[in-house]
Amino acid sequence: MLAAGPPTATPEPSRHLAPAARRLWRIEGALAGGLALAAAGVLQAVAGGTLAWLGWIAAIALAVLASVAVPELRWRRWRWEVREHEIDIRRGTLAVTRTLVPMLRVQHVDTKRDLLQQWLGLATVVFHTAAGANEIPALTVAEAGQVRDRIAELARAADEL
Amino acid sequence: MSSEPDGEAAAPGIAPRRLHPAGIAVLGVGALRGLALPLGLAFAGALLGAGGGQPLGRALAFGVLGALLASAAGVVAWLTTRWSVADGTLRLRTGVLSTKEVDVPLSRVQAVDTVHGPLQRLFGVRGVHVQTAGGGREGEITLPAVTPADVERIGAALRGRGGAPAEPAAPAAPRAERRLGRRRLLLAALTAGQVGVILPALAVVPQLLGEVWGGDLRTAGRDGLRFAPDSAPEWILAAAALIVLAWLLSAAGAVLAFAGFTVARDPDRLRVRRGLLARREATVPVARVQAVRVVEGLLRQPFGLVTVRAEVAGYAKEAAAAQTLFPLLRRTEVEPFLAALLPEMADGLGALEGPPRRALPRYVLPSAAAWLGAGAAAGVLVPALAPWALLVAIPAAALGAARWRAAGSRIADGRVAVRFRRLSRVTVLAPAARRQEHGMRQTVLQRRAGLADLELRVGAGTRGRVRHLEAVAAARAFDALRRQRRVR
Repeated sequence: MLAAGPPTATPEPSRHLAPAARRLWRIEGALAGGLALAAAGVLQAVAGGTLAWLGWIAAIALAVLASVAVPELRWRRWRWEVREHEIDIRRGTLAVTRTLVPMLRVQHVDTKRDLLQQWLGLATVVFHTAAGANEIPALTVAEAGQVRDRIAELARAADEL
Repeated sequence: MSSEPDGEAAAPGIAPRRLHPAGIAVLGVGALRGLALPLGLAFAGALLGAGGGQPLGRALAFGVLGALLASAAGVVAWLTTRWSVADGTLRLRTGVLSTKEVDVPLSRVQAVDTVHGPLQRLFGVRGVHVQTAGGGREGEITLPAVTPADVERIGAALRGRGGAPAEPAAPAAPRAERRLGRRRLLLAALTAGQVGVILPALAVVPQLLGEVWGGDLRTAGRDGLRFAPDSAPEWILAAAALIVLAWLLSAAGAVLAFAGFTVARDPDRLRVRRGLLARREATVPVARVQAVRVVEGLLRQPFGLVTVRAEVAGYAKEAAAAQTLFPLLRRTEVEPFLAALLPEMADGLGALEGPPRRALPRYVLPSAAAWLGAGAAAGVLVPALAPWALLVAIPAAALGAARWRAAGSRIADGRVAVRFRRLSRVTVLAPAARRQEHGMRQTVLQRRAGLADLELRVGAGTRGRVRHLEAVAAARAFDALRRQRRVR
């Protein structure tokens, strides 16, 4: 079990993202790594020498981290929970962030899917407050729909109280 | 301002109409402002006589052309603008090539500002800015010229709206009112400058001028105006002169914005009036005020002076002046001031729990190191500055220590207070249940030291973050905030 932020009396969120989230992040990481490698190639062509070697090392390290290590760690750390009065999120690899959004403050909620997510059958739930938006990324499409509807219902109930 | 009884009786609606004809002038001047840059360039080009001929005549021609364009734009904009109130919705239709249609349900209106600028005064009209929560700058619906009678009607329609908290039919005399006296205004103006912000920017200016000149700055200076300083003392002198200039400009800006500042409390609204050339009046329902920010600028804190700002959804992206609840108070006056005008937010400024002593290096070292790096870079770029540039690390370290001293939070009696410093020291006061979200953050390094950050968001723009608290204290605050659920 990974340590995850200071212990609180508030129960920790328990739900994971969809397992396929790892694949999504690996692909995104691989794309970023590819860009870094391309940049290193450009550096080689322009400058050459020691600088280019350093560039290659950095690019390869970044590609490995972004496409292998980070997605796994990120997935293991990501937790969320929708309760009657609040949405509880815990996330982060090097810095663990815990966010609590009162249901009363949720203005609207939606789901979105980019191309990669459509291909992998994933969706992101976005809920907006006056202060900005928060996301639960990479749930399965069915679960994302349920979560969206549940948040909408709870937010409406909170409004009527 | 008392509303007319017959305006209350009828279902509040306003038939579609144009702006007051004075709108032509106001819109035209607005268009002229848009044209200012190209016209200014054309002017300068003409005067410098790029193409020969008679420079003055050409400049005059450009001036006339600009005036014609602006008036034409004003007339067209006026002809194509219509607004109305019907079915509880404020509507605006405007534009020729790209038409814009804005519908704002009255129940969504956060606040209404009226502007009484020089042009509007000349014609006896008002500008009206309607603010909603989603708002960008300036207000979502801007009516630059409306007759006072129509302003009254808009006000009456808003008072009769559904959804929003009911307001009494006849507002009583203001329960409390505060005026900014002349001495205070002067003091506010003199301490308005954010010198700290200007300083690093100014350091870059000579460098930029050199880039613009394209050649060697010093040669250009000797050939021309002897503008460029030769030695470090001269650089410092030049920078000091620029700082004084910037300071005077900010003082003048503060006088323009805050002259005649008055804030008054009606039963459930705040009315803020201010401005020298353009008189502005903002009406804010108290229920829309999310939090209060007490800002102690670098120039003000040593004298125990503060500015009080209100966090209102819809004003988040407005200029700082528009959010001001009072431009200048003594620190000790803040609590009585809030108790009289905005008891919903009143709270003390002291007794906050700060980060432990062992967190001090975490505040000092990163900023000192960053500025040391920046100083070294500046020294490399401008050799004359080399020995001096590294000294910026000292104020940077001092600022880090000041940030450590400033940081703190308190949750008690259903209220939350969070204090932090970027340059100015800011204390955010809010009912805990008004928060939009709150959170906690811990990096790997913080975990080893048993520290954590506490984050709080209220309203749309205020994000308070207290860094490097005891992890246990941060967790306790996190739990305590969670228990604050109901808006009282």
